[in-house]
Amino acid sequence: MSHWTNTRRLWFYRIATLLTTAVLAHVLTVWVVPRLIMQVLMNGPIAQKMNMRNQAAFPPPVNAQSRTVVMPSPDLLYSVCVFDLTDGPVRVRAAPKLPGYWSIALYSANSDNFFVRNDRQAQGAPIDLWLVPAGGAKGTTPVPQGAQVVVSPSGTGFLLMRVLASDYQADQVLLESSRRTLRCEPAKAA
Amino acid sequence: MTGSAPSRLRRILIGGALYLGALAVGIGSALWVLKKAAWLNPSVQVGAWRSNLQAGSVDADMYTRATVAVNAVLALGRSETMYFVATQDDAGHVLRSQCNYRITGVPPKARWWSITAYADDMFLFDAPNAHYSLNGDIAKLNSEGVFSFTTGPQEQSGIYWLPTPGKRGMLLTLRLYNPDAALQAAPQSLMPPKIQPVGDCA
Repeated sequence: MSHWTNTRRLWFYRIATLLTTAVLAHVLTVWVVPRLIMQVLMNGPIAQKMNMRNQAAFPPPVNAQSRTVVMPSPDLLYSVCVFDLTDGPVRVRAAPKLPGYWSIALYSANSDNFFVRNDRQAQGAPIDLWLVPAGGAKGTTPVPQGAQVVVSPSGTGFLLMRVLASDYQADQVLLESSRRTLRCEPAKAA
Repeated sequence: MTGSAPSRLRRILIGGALYLGALAVGIGSALWVLKKAAWLNPSVQVGAWRSNLQAGSVDADMYTRATVAVNAVLALGRSETMYFVATQDDAGHVLRSQCNYRITGVPPKARWWSITAYADDMFLFDAPNAHYSLNGDIAKLNSEGVFSFTTGPQEQSGIYWLPTPGKRGMLLTLRLYNPDAALQAAPQSLMPPKIQPVGDCA
């Protein structure tokens, strides 16, 4: 009887442990996936090749060979930057002069879109952002006059500038000159 | 009581296999949910189009966040952009690239819109004419204010064509940039573009 009870108890613990393991693995996977995808985006081979840490990069227009990010929009021209606030604030500036839509969006390391500013909100004024981490910025660099302080939930993150490019070939000069006004620099350099 | 060495080894192997199985079930079920649940539990469905309204939001729950990261990383919040995805036609049949479809609708109430065809790997089709999407700037409206275009392997005469070469699954994504406030507040008020098959499909 005692042996039977011990066996049952043993199997109860085994099954409970297996179920707990499965549930924890499930939850952990769901939690990790967005962070992992962002890490690949920010530190993967393409990010390395484009040298976009605290520096704006300008990928070519989207086409069928664009396979870095799922569901790319073929109607938008993208510009990117990985901001790293480890050594201090990062200053983001842009002054596109375009008749159509553009926006600058910031994503935290868990993939949340925590900030976006579009052309209508900018009302023709240049974008000037002073990115600082949630815990406060390292160093004592003063906020430049006119810059908007934006608190990032994470120390590193991703900047994506979208510029509407319905007809890239026809508007190439204007689109390229406008998006290349994007600056994404550490405070010391800016 | 402790059993022989071979018996212990057997128990360890079985236990290890069971733990590996539990890990595989946990990780596999998570990945399945993230790939398949993207549009299984939509916040809103209008016609053949479904949308998760928490996409890109800092208020998103962990499943929404992970699902968006897998299926549409770097999405914007709905005040900036609304995304609707169709994986089926109006009759509920799964979209296939080897079939021809006609998509018709009225321009959505947004500053700018586009409909893009993607293969089931979430990337663009290798379109020989480099037509990957129809957008509000190039869409031609008829006298009733309706736009039309086709997708499929063959061009239909006199209508804008998004080629979808190959034999595979596909999906359509409707993007609305700066949607009207009324549409943001009531996404189900979207007049959904119709997706109808054209001709026979093998």
